[in-house]
Amino acid sequence: MSTAVTENQNQDAQQTDDAGEEAIPTYDIVLRVRRYDPEFETEAHWDEWPLTMYGTDRVLDALHKVKWELDGSLSFRRSCAHGVCGSDAMRINGRNRLACKTLLKDLDLSKPILVEPIKGLPCEKDLIVDMEPFFQSYREIMPFLVNEDHTPTGERFQSQDDRARFDDTTKCILCAACTSSCPVFWTDGQYFGPAAIVNAHRFIFDSRDQAGDMRLEILNDKEGVWRCRTTFNCTEACPRGIQVTKAIAEVKKAVFASAL
Amino acid sequence: MQVHKYDVVIVGAGGAGMRAAIESGQRARTAVLTKLYPTRSHTGAAQGGMCAALANVEEDNWEWHTFDTVKGGDYLVDQDAAEVMAKEAIDAVLDLEHMGLPFNRTPEGKIDQRRFGGHTRDHGKNPVRRACYAADRTGHMILQTLYQTCIKHNVEFFNEYYVLDLIMVDTPEGRRPAGVVSYDLATGELHVFQAKSVVFASGGAGKVFKTTSNAHTLTGDGMAIAFRNGLPLEDMEFVQFHPTGLAGLGILVSEAARGEGGILRNSEGERFMERYAPTIKDLAPRDIVARSMANEVREGRGCGPNKDYVLLDLTHLEPAHIDAKLPDITEFARTYLGVEPYTEPVPVFPTAHYCMGGIPTDIKGEVFQDSETTIPGLYAAGEVACVSVHGSNRLGTNSLLDINVFGKRAGVFAAEYAQSAEFLPVPDDAVARTEALLDNARSPHGNEKVAAIRKDLQDTMDLNMQVFRTAETIQKALDDIAALEERYANISIQDQGKRFNLDLLEAVELGFLLELAKVMAVAALHREESRGGHFREDFPNRDDENFMVHSMVYEDPSSATAGIRQETKPVVMTRYEPMERKY
Amino acid sequence: MSTPLKTKIQVPRSRDLEVDGVKYNRAGSSRSRFEMFAWLFMRMSGIVLIVLVFGHLFVNLMVGEGVHAVDFGFVGGKWANPFWQVWDLVMLWLAMLHGTNGIRVIIDDYAARNTTRFWLKVLLFVASAFVILLGTMVIFTFEPCPAGADPSLLASFCSAH
Repeated sequence: MSTAVTENQNQDAQQTDDAGEEAIPTYDIVLRVRRYDPEFETEAHWDEWPLTMYGTDRVLDALHKVKWELDGSLSFRRSCAHGVCGSDAMRINGRNRLACKTLLKDLDLSKPILVEPIKGLPCEKDLIVDMEPFFQSYREIMPFLVNEDHTPTGERFQSQDDRARFDDTTKCILCAACTSSCPVFWTDGQYFGPAAIVNAHRFIFDSRDQAGDMRLEILNDKEGVWRCRTTFNCTEACPRGIQVTKAIAEVKKAVFASAL
Repeated sequence: MQVHKYDVVIVGAGGAGMRAAIESGQRARTAVLTKLYPTRSHTGAAQGGMCAALANVEEDNWEWHTFDTVKGGDYLVDQDAAEVMAKEAIDAVLDLEHMGLPFNRTPEGKIDQRRFGGHTRDHGKNPVRRACYAADRTGHMILQTLYQTCIKHNVEFFNEYYVLDLIMVDTPEGRRPAGVVSYDLATGELHVFQAKSVVFASGGAGKVFKTTSNAHTLTGDGMAIAFRNGLPLEDMEFVQFHPTGLAGLGILVSEAARGEGGILRNSEGERFMERYAPTIKDLAPRDIVARSMANEVREGRGCGPNKDYVLLDLTHLEPAHIDAKLPDITEFARTYLGVEPYTEPVPVFPTAHYCMGGIPTDIKGEVFQDSETTIPGLYAAGEVACVSVHGSNRLGTNSLLDINVFGKRAGVFAAEYAQSAEFLPVPDDAVARTEALLDNARSPHGNEKVAAIRKDLQDTMDLNMQVFRTAETIQKALDDIAALEERYANISIQDQGKRFNLDLLEAVELGFLLELAKVMAVAALHREESRGGHFREDFPNRDDENFMVHSMVYEDPSSATAGIRQETKPVVMTRYEPMERKY
Repeated sequence: MSTPLKTKIQVPRSRDLEVDGVKYNRAGSSRSRFEMFAWLFMRMSGIVLIVLVFGHLFVNLMVGEGVHAVDFGFVGGKWANPFWQVWDLVMLWLAMLHGTNGIRVIIDDYAARNTTRFWLKVLLFVASAFVILLGTMVIFTFEPCPAGADPSLLASFCSAH
């Protein structure tokens, strides 16, 4: 994505705003979506629709416009439509994004907007992929608090600093944008993937948890943290702004600290 | 068609469903059916907090919380239920903390608490810090923590299984649930889940309105399924409009923004809530704030080119404070409106947020089949249910509390019932009605589009059934819905496949929405008074003499009003006599 | 850091999963520390190699006449000195292991099929072993003053014989 173009687009939108307060800026876009329905075809193909969109419309709005007005068979997951449920992670112009958080005016509209399913997970239909492998990795890192001490009658105390230690990784919404942007994951899907490591980080660094060593042992696997090549694709893809690569590096350090 | 057998089947995997699953999963063989993935549920969009009288930062007790809940609901609250909720709130928060929920902490390391609308000390004296929170992502943390705990307890999830019908059978003791019929989105096949107990936790129906904070998937499926099975729906006229939705979009901006010091201003820069609620001002309950905002706009003091919104001012707060306490909502304002909340006020307007009504239940979560008797084995919890702890207006944070307290109860009691009960035989024609429903939606009847009908429905509901209502507008809505139902009979869908046929799904969902919109309108037409979230301009006062009752609506083709029969159910009063509601 | 757990709890393992012929469950639990040490080795050997390689380049290319001095005699002279023998031996081993491991990682990252992976790695390991052994042998068995060679090509100390 070229920053210069992005800025120009924004300026265009501004000018339209200034020109007439009443007029909502409109955009003519071309939406190009990778379609695949194994029920009826053996190969994926591309469909293209020219659309007129408005103001603060997002890629999700464009997809809805197609689904609701032009082609009802276009299939994609979505729910909350404001970036907190994690249903609509997809590849937009080659980058993993949430469709509901990607404003059209921030994209280069002089070219068609390319929308594909996220990579590395089996495509089920159009933009829908099988999330089961992703959740399997998540389940394997024991994503739950383990504390075998006697449960206190009140809350377990935790200092503000201890709470802040893992704050960044509590934001994860399991959208799979990070894991499916990772070139290592694309190869064979054996790598645990950034999302699983982020969620392990959330518990490893929680002062109330007691199973950190077990998680570190799990992630010391052949397919664990050591397959991370620090390409930062995951950090760039995260719609929640989690410093994913940093979290992975912290887990690596923790593995050393517990192993050596 | 496949048949599965489980002791307990839970429909929905949001907060209430998963909280129930944690309890029932440890006691009985449990399956959770969800039309999404569990972590996509809309509990995750809740922001501000979850109230419990922990008294961690200032003096508080559960009795004050009960009073606030009753008063907030304009006395249409079943007080025994409110008492249970306020009492068990403390354990509900502690349970979540023990499960690992990362609450914000006080300097001493205790769970931090903040102010929230309608929550006061000593029966309305001044705002109290009662809401336990995790930044402005409390719902997200609750949803994640509950899902994590479900994984810990090996709860069985059936993801993307859309429940379309409830199987009820007649027994000598009365009607009992035998299971549910669900549609596997991935394959397009029907699965019957035979169960001793069924728990509905499928959420609300915000999508009947256009401007809503609700997810696209909140189409009132559970309510409509119950209604179509002859069960009543309670208090459906009461819909909460959240005061601060991002203008034009409806995306939620938490009440926590005002709890942390945010102020609502009109086009003259006036803090108008001082006029409407002199004591607690911007922290008045949501119905009052929403109505005040709508009134400011109506009287020409709205902001913007079309004077159609008011402003939420956070500019006097320290940016560091905003970042620490309200990071997500400031990001929403930046992303979706291009407004920088550090320096500019945020345009906001009321957005449809929560259905106070739903499937009537007692405090065990057991569903009522009429105004007196419940159906053992059938449970409901969360937004789909009406216990009723929210009465005519829910206080902020009480929904997160509701799902945890009554989700837990429904799970416990559903499992207990399943341990003592036998499986009931599933009738041979159990899926006939669902097959007919799907076949009807699939086969082309005309050229009406689902999306167009839905848009028209949402438009008429926004126009006629929003914050201000009159007999005339409600009747208009009913007429429009009747016309839309005729058009609905002529829909055709494009996707003819079996895999992930979301086109078909949306058609079915629209059927549910139409049904519920009609129910809401009929209930609203009958309630000729103004109370909580239901404001009738032709009857602007509360009328305790005639309407201090829950409304119960049933499907009844013989009824003259849109085939819906209206009955009532008395409100349970324990400690608090109805008083005038002033803040 | 979290405190160790007193009693081990069972790690939840999901069922085996195969979608369209791709196996998504991790192939068994290979809980060895090899990958950790490999990761550490890459960083450590990298640092040492920077010193060794730049030292090597400095001595060969910059000192004295620089690159023009390098000939058979120059190499023979260096390898007569045990210091340079050890230096070059360490450099050889580290560079080869570092490079081999790097390519092993690349094969893991880019070869999708298990059989492809296996044969590429066999090829890699055989080639590396060959180079390492040959190089080691040369360093230790190098004869700086071969009999019958033109003395002008040999190191100065050869004439002493």
